[in-house]
Amino acid sequence: MLLRASSDAVGAEVDLSAAVEDAADGGVEDGAVLTAFAEAVVRATDDLDAARARALETLGPEKFVEAAATVGIFNGLVRVADSTGIPSDAMMLERTADVRGELGFNRWGGARASGVAEAPA
Amino acid sequence: MSFAAGRFPVPVREDMATALRRSWADIGRPGTWWTGPERVAIAALARAERIQRNEPPWSRDRREPSEPLPEKAVEAARKIGADPAHLDREWANGVIAEIGDSHYVELASVVVTTAAADAFCEAMGIDHEPFPEPEAGEPTRERPDGMGDIGAWVPVQVIDWKRANVARAMSLVPEGVRTFFRMVAAMYTGTASDFDRMVWDHRPLARPQVELLAARVSALNQCFY
Repeated sequence: MLLRASSDAVGAEVDLSAAVEDAADGGVEDGAVLTAFAEAVVRATDDLDAARARALETLGPEKFVEAAATVGIFNGLVRVADSTGIPSDAMMLERTADVRGELGFNRWGGARASGVAEAPA
Repeated sequence: MSFAAGRFPVPVREDMATALRRSWADIGRPGTWWTGPERVAIAALARAERIQRNEPPWSRDRREPSEPLPEKAVEAARKIGADPAHLDREWANGVIAEIGDSHYVELASVVVTTAAADAFCEAMGIDHEPFPEPEAGEPTRERPDGMGDIGAWVPVQVIDWKRANVARAMSLVPEGVRTFFRMVAAMYTGTASDFDRMVWDHRPLARPQVELLAARVSALNQCFY
């Protein structure tokens, strides 16, 4: 929801499938570099060093630190939500209704806590 | 000093480094329901399991905790640390039945703080921060008022709540909220008014760039929220 809202705010059209596809840019500046970096950290893949170097070279040090911080803190935030079974906010559910099913989010375990679960694929 | 400036390959904002240092030190302090040594033991279990997250749970190298912990607490630290996409209400109820909801929430707060700090270190390309030396002392054992059921697996604050649900998910242990969300403010949201604005000028990255990273990390962890 915030990806779409923040892109709308600057008049950009975002492709939300970038959230679920590897190294997709989503129409966001340096998006492919950012998503490849996030994927390498979360998956602890062998190309983490290369993805990190590419992120640092492309973004520069200040933006690189912000990217690393965002990846870091969201590894905590997802665990807050998933360890407590906190239901999603009503506004978020309403504003993502058109894409959740298409992108497969409703098949994830956490969808049960928000009452919108579909059977796993 | 933890997260010393000299450890980073590139400069890190001082407010971010300070938040990391303060929250990391909190792990070693007596909490609301767990002692300092128990909290460090929980953090160490979560880290050890998360490091092996690409291995199936049954083939991971597991060691005894550095401090005696209930069996379900050990299981929870490991599972929240390494397999957050595979948690469900039935499992959480089983843990809570053995250790209690407040102990469970505090345990989760230690694990999420550890996971975030460790992932940041991995992203930066530096070693994980050594755990703080556990401090002596007794937990405060203070359960807040105003908790209720909004459909989560644990009670949460229900009075006058106008912010995102995730911010009250651990409100059964306010100290755990302070420890983790201090880092959230420094590493993501900024102030409440910053967060509400869709165009950011207080961070070097544009907000869509930040939210793309957030969405990708959430999806990789299959986090519906």
